[in-house]
Amino acid sequence: MKRMLTRLAGVASILLLTTQMASADGKLSLYNWGDYINPELIDAFSKEYKVDVTLDTYSTNEEMLARIQAGASGYDLVWPSVHMHDIMQKLGLLQAAHPNQMPGWENIDKAALRSHEDPQGDYCLPYAWGAVGILYNKKLIPDLKSWRQFFDYAKANPGKVTMLDDLRETLGVGLIMTGSSVNSRNPEEIEKAEAFIMQQKPNIGAFRYDVIPLVTSGDIAAGHYYVGGVLNVLQNPDLLGFVIPEEGATMYQEDVCLLEGAPNSENAELFMQFLMRPENAAKNSERLTNGVVNTAAVSLLPDNLKTNPSINPSPEVRAKLQIFEDLGKDLRVYTRAWDRIKTN
Amino acid sequence: MNRILSSFKIFPSVFNIYGFLFLAFLYMPLALIVLYSFNANPINIAVWTGFTFDWYRTIFGGAAVETTFDSAFSESPQRIFEVVKNSFLVAVSAATIATVIGTATAIALARYKFFGKRFYQTLLLLPILIPDIVLGIALLVFFVGVGFELGLLTIIIGHVTFLSSYVFVVVSARLAGMDTTLEQASADLGAGPFTTFRRVTLPQIMPGVVGGFLLAFIISLDDVVITYFIAGVGSQTLPLFILAMMRRGLRPQITALAVLILVFSFVVATVGLLLRNRKS
Amino acid sequence: MITGKTVQSRKTQALLLLLSPITILLGAFFLIPLGIMVVYSFLEPGLYGGVEWTWYPYNYGRIIGWPLNDYETFEPIYLSIFLSSLKIASLTVIFSLLICYPAAFWVSRMSERRKSFVLFLITLPFFANLLVRIYAWLLLLRPTGFINMALQSIGLVAQPLDMLFSSFAVIVGMVYIFTPFMFLPIYANVEKLDYSLVRASQDLGATPLQTFLRVILPLTLPGIAGGSIIVFIPALGNFIVPSFLGGSKVQMTGNLIERSFLQSRDWPFGAALALLIMASVVLVVMFQVVRSSRAQARGAA
Repeated sequence: MKRMLTRLAGVASILLLTTQMASADGKLSLYNWGDYINPELIDAFSKEYKVDVTLDTYSTNEEMLARIQAGASGYDLVWPSVHMHDIMQKLGLLQAAHPNQMPGWENIDKAALRSHEDPQGDYCLPYAWGAVGILYNKKLIPDLKSWRQFFDYAKANPGKVTMLDDLRETLGVGLIMTGSSVNSRNPEEIEKAEAFIMQQKPNIGAFRYDVIPLVTSGDIAAGHYYVGGVLNVLQNPDLLGFVIPEEGATMYQEDVCLLEGAPNSENAELFMQFLMRPENAAKNSERLTNGVVNTAAVSLLPDNLKTNPSINPSPEVRAKLQIFEDLGKDLRVYTRAWDRIKTN
Repeated sequence: MNRILSSFKIFPSVFNIYGFLFLAFLYMPLALIVLYSFNANPINIAVWTGFTFDWYRTIFGGAAVETTFDSAFSESPQRIFEVVKNSFLVAVSAATIATVIGTATAIALARYKFFGKRFYQTLLLLPILIPDIVLGIALLVFFVGVGFELGLLTIIIGHVTFLSSYVFVVVSARLAGMDTTLEQASADLGAGPFTTFRRVTLPQIMPGVVGGFLLAFIISLDDVVITYFIAGVGSQTLPLFILAMMRRGLRPQITALAVLILVFSFVVATVGLLLRNRKS
Repeated sequence: MITGKTVQSRKTQALLLLLSPITILLGAFFLIPLGIMVVYSFLEPGLYGGVEWTWYPYNYGRIIGWPLNDYETFEPIYLSIFLSSLKIASLTVIFSLLICYPAAFWVSRMSERRKSFVLFLITLPFFANLLVRIYAWLLLLRPTGFINMALQSIGLVAQPLDMLFSSFAVIVGMVYIFTPFMFLPIYANVEKLDYSLVRASQDLGATPLQTFLRVILPLTLPGIAGGSIIVFIPALGNFIVPSFLGGSKVQMTGNLIERSFLQSRDWPFGAALALLIMASVVLVVMFQVVRSSRAQARGAA
């Protein structure tokens, strides 16, 4: 028995040693959203450059920021949303990777340089963008076009819709419906938005992210969701639909950023260049069903993506999409409104 | 007369039915997971459409991921292997260290009289008693505050903190039921404390020590909450991995993975419980 | 000959050797972290996470209404979330008690062999991963889940019942998870129940109800109290069960704490809430200690 214990201790120390030895060179650690990169790209990159790529995932910007601030310094690249890119750059958590001097930069849509802190693309590479709309089950709602319809359906069928468990997204819908900017700092406007969501709350089944299986199985009829849900719509066009509501919607964009103190910055820069190749950007978009920021990749997309009104919306629809900005201390007004919504 | 006592005899069947329902309540949900993990229906796990091994195959890399519905983001076998490796590394290291510390403490408290013994007895129960979330965030603010980089090492330390208490409880129970005359005889015969410990005490408490180790091992392997707060770079463990998968939605692959974990935990726990209950 | 003194000093050395690891471990990684958490709860939240080192008692003001400054306002919702967490945790205790109490009697009347086997069966689910057990209830309770399918197929209900994403689901999930914790202390007590007292009570003409209330219940009370505490504490601080089975509509204080740390970047507020939970845990444990020592004193008298 004692021998067993010592042997186990031995195994543990060997395991510790091997994990340390593996971190010698030819590595790249990515810290990305869950389901936010085509796994084939990672495989292709690691084969082409003989680099051992690891991928960890997070589910909110805040979680990522908290972990990076908590000293998670072993990562090379992160995928913050634009407002988080601004925050991280202000906090000195990023280093300039100069994607604007890399081959392939000419393909990047300059309209995608949305960061206030980084207007020239000295720091981060725009990655992908998309709208946040509604994923719905066509058997339960044959044709959905607007938030109005979404909330009316919920009123008639309480509990059969979900909204995102994200304070800015869901309060953002409230702001859109009450005619304010999703970046409002005016407490009265935020109060109105809160009241709007509160009014709907009895009819909302849950605040969740995991809506795809629930909508597919018909457990719920419609859910506030990201354009990434179009992947499932394309697999099941008779059953599922995705729409950017007429009233307008929020949009997101993530940038790929190099972290300060990244242990493998050379490989990270290679990876940025790799992502800029049009065929890779297209391959990524096929899997993520996101909007592309790579103008050369658009022509490589399959038709059903190129013409999809949610992925590649018309200029009129694009004009109705709003992107989040960093609110600094005013975020607390939102936090409190959100706490009240979730409680009452 | 003796109506309550006789009621046990009159209604044994009522009691047995109740007991059966009680066990059904405990096992039905687990049995259903096992059943569903073989269901071919990719859209709704609860609607049976046929038998399949596909979900298990995606875990081991046998099935082509592309062919299965909603599996565009099925986790790759390499990724699963990596988090399993992390989990085992943490569980083996943390349980080993906690077994040494917990056993030493149990012996000290059972065999010595000293000032502050009651303080230690209470202190040792606290890591088990306080809600996980409190310990998790206390460790988080501590590690961040002192500039300790979050990673596998912080997870191991965090686990040792509460696992030592579990080992202490298990080994103490063993020591309490142990005959001390042999130890005294050994000391009377001139053996030093260390020899007495190695030759007499340790063999007698060994089932408790191994039982404590296995208990600690399983608890570490399954811990979600504390690990959730103190995990860092590349240190995702299996439970955190499943947590992230569950947040993204119910998928058949999770069910299969859950069954594998269930089977493994039950095997280890069975060995541990048998050892703990074995009479010396 | 070994003198008494060297034996004594050797013993002291051995004791030091045995006790120093746990002292260092719990000192450095348990007591100090808890202390830091207390300190943090009195600091100003940093704009992007972390803390500013300024005295800031207003985190408590948000929760209990005092003290307050320009930026922090009293929000009764935090107390109401705390109260509803207390309610959910208490209901969890009550239901698991109702389920486990008869079961303890059932097991205690068995033959030795069967008993140890059934005890093994009851303990085993404790070792199943927490997430796996929650996952099972997600599958059972959803509108197209097993329970609704079964109810519909035997015609008991026409429309699927909305069971998931409710306090009901949270309580069911927690009762399921904590059943072994409740069962074992009660069982340990019921096992030792002195049936001669029961017999005496009946011989003196007590009805079964009287016998139960006056004899059996008081005798098994320590087990009930122990089990209740062991279930109440983790239930109060739970956030995983409500976040999955409550559909993040049912909130417990644990969810608020998690959100303060990982979403709204307000560490001091999260620390203050965690201390609120800590304080209630300490109160409950102290109550139990006082009660049991009083009972001991009475037993001695």
